Amino acid sequence: MCSKTNEGSDRFEYLQTLVTEFQDTDSEEAKEQVLANLANFAYDPKNMEHLRELQVTDLFLDMLTEENHNFVEFGMGGLCNLSMDPECRDIILQNSGISLVTNCLSSQREETVLSAVTTLMNLITHSSRSDITNPAILQCMLRFSLSESPRLRNLAAVFLQDCCTEEQVARVEQQMHGQQTAVGIPLPKD
Amino acid sequence: MVNRKTFTINMAARNRNSAGCWSAPEVYKHHEQRRVCISRPKYREGRKAKAVKVYTINLESRYLMVQGVPAIGVMPELIQLCALYGVVEEYRPLDEYPAEEFTEVYLVKFQKLTSARAAKRHMDEKSFYGGVLHVCYVPEYETVEDTRLKLQDRRRYVIRTTQNKAREKIKQQREEEEATTSETTTTATDRIPDRYEKTSDTSNTWELPNSNQFSSFPPLPLPPQEHQYYGHENQQESIATEDKMGTLHNAFVDVQHQLGQSSNFSQTSSDRDQRTEHRLTTNPTSAVRFVPRKTNLENRKRKKEEAVENLLADVSAKNEPFIGPKLPEPPKLDMEDVSLNTTVSLIRNTMKQVMYLLYCLKQVKTKTNRIEFILYSHNSWWKKSLIFFRWGQFQISNHWRKRLNHVAGFDHTSCLFAVNVLCFYFDI
Repeated sequence: MCSKTNEGSDRFEYLQTLVTEFQDTDSEEAKEQVLANLANFAYDPKNMEHLRELQVTDLFLDMLTEENHNFVEFGMGGLCNLSMDPECRDIILQNSGISLVTNCLSSQREETVLSAVTTLMNLITHSSRSDITNPAILQCMLRFSLSESPRLRNLAAVFLQDCCTEEQVARVEQQMHGQQTAVGIPLPKD
Repeated sequence: MVNRKTFTINMAARNRNSAGCWSAPEVYKHHEQRRVCISRPKYREGRKAKAVKVYTINLESRYLMVQGVPAIGVMPELIQLCALYGVVEEYRPLDEYPAEEFTEVYLVKFQKLTSARAAKRHMDEKSFYGGVLHVCYVPEYETVEDTRLKLQDRRRYVIRTTQNKAREKIKQQREEEEATTSETTTTATDRIPDRYEKTSDTSNTWELPNSNQFSSFPPLPLPPQEHQYYGHENQQESIATEDKMGTLHNAFVDVQHQLGQSSNFSQTSSDRDQRTEHRLTTNPTSAVRFVPRKTNLENRKRKKEEAVENLLADVSAKNEPFIGPKLPEPPKLDMEDVSLNTTVSLIRNTMKQVMYLLYCLKQVKTKTNRIEFILYSHNSWWKKSLIFFRWGQFQISNHWRKRLNHVAGFDHTSCLFAVNVLCFYFDI
């Protein structure tokens, strides 16, 4: 029991070191590496508590508005991993995660978009459902479901089938002929 | 209108899904092997060099693509290798996928994601029949249902794990509370002088830091099991390849250091019976005795000569009383004959190589007609490769001779000898 506790605290200290390095370093490269490390640690549910304590959830959310596309991708990946845990999900929801994640739907990178879709699905609770299944996001998912990429297509199909009602989808489809929303449409490359 | 639209969407989805697995594959970005990151500081270095990449459930899949399989008709072998990590549901060559010359690409569908994960972990960048495999997840072959189940399983797993951990934490907390309330006085007096040595001047206020200590350090949860598991395994690997490798060379510089030898034997074949092991330890020249059936005259002759040599060495050693540890220097034995001296050094080298191979080989799995060994070596990427020895097939094939030559620097005689020793040793 004692050794287990020690290992746990070792892990906590290690994660803390990572967070500290991320905050202290000026090197973009080091930041990317640490961010990727943290996001991968978030994959393991046993680290969730440590990461919550270190407020890594906020760190990831902050990354979504960065210029650097790698930051966005890794931060989004981290959120995708963390949001599987109900407690982390609630933290993300409290910190206006839905709009931040929704903005990532229009990323140029497929990986970022996929993480965003999965995260949105994870974020659905009783109270957040109406926000996540708003017509703009549904239109976006409908577009994704026609995508060339099989991964995006499948994921969007799961979203449409599992997270919303058929009437909702039908209504949005009807709307789509009238007016389009811009959610999920990537900005032109400069 | 509405209906038609949904229909087309569904159609499109279904068409693509049904075709999904079997249509012409595209090369996606996540198939590429990213460049390994070399600028990590020491504390963030893992056991393996890795690229900067974030894994999410979206990237994982029970579909794996195996690239770099030599086009020499080894599909059954590949699938057998895959099956070591879990049930393979489907597989097929991806003929249309752009492959390097003389290699093939395969699609392997595992029953479980965890199997695919293990297979990827163990097979990626490993050599296989002279090629180096590149294994990656190919989630684009999933159907909608696959994706749905994958996400559901993942969510369930995370919730289960976090709940278990929370429960464990509460239990631990309770235990600790009980411990602190019942043993406050004793533990306090035992522990505090150690931990608070610097501040022990204020010995009267002990109990204060003590109670703080317990409240400010909540029982921390367990480390992740997966990490632990793989970490442990990797550790074993690294010990087998690096740590012990060094000591091995020392041990075999001097042929007489049989103790080292026997311990190495027992390590390589931990699952072997004590009997053989015992024989090994008691007979100093036993390694040569393992030359079985296919009697190797040359080796037998050498064995005798070596026995003489050992005897001589023993005598010389006995004559000198020495105190303290003996340096592992090779005894410079002069047989007073150039050709004899060459023979002796030849024997030494062969022995070293054979012991090295025995040391490098770890028996993985015994099936009815086949024994599989993993060959460990610290030579570049030949870190781990599978060797198959079939029953009654003592002659080593050209292919494997080349490989042994490459990995362990074996010459022809050593290869034969090694295989014979192995066959005897593992009672094939």
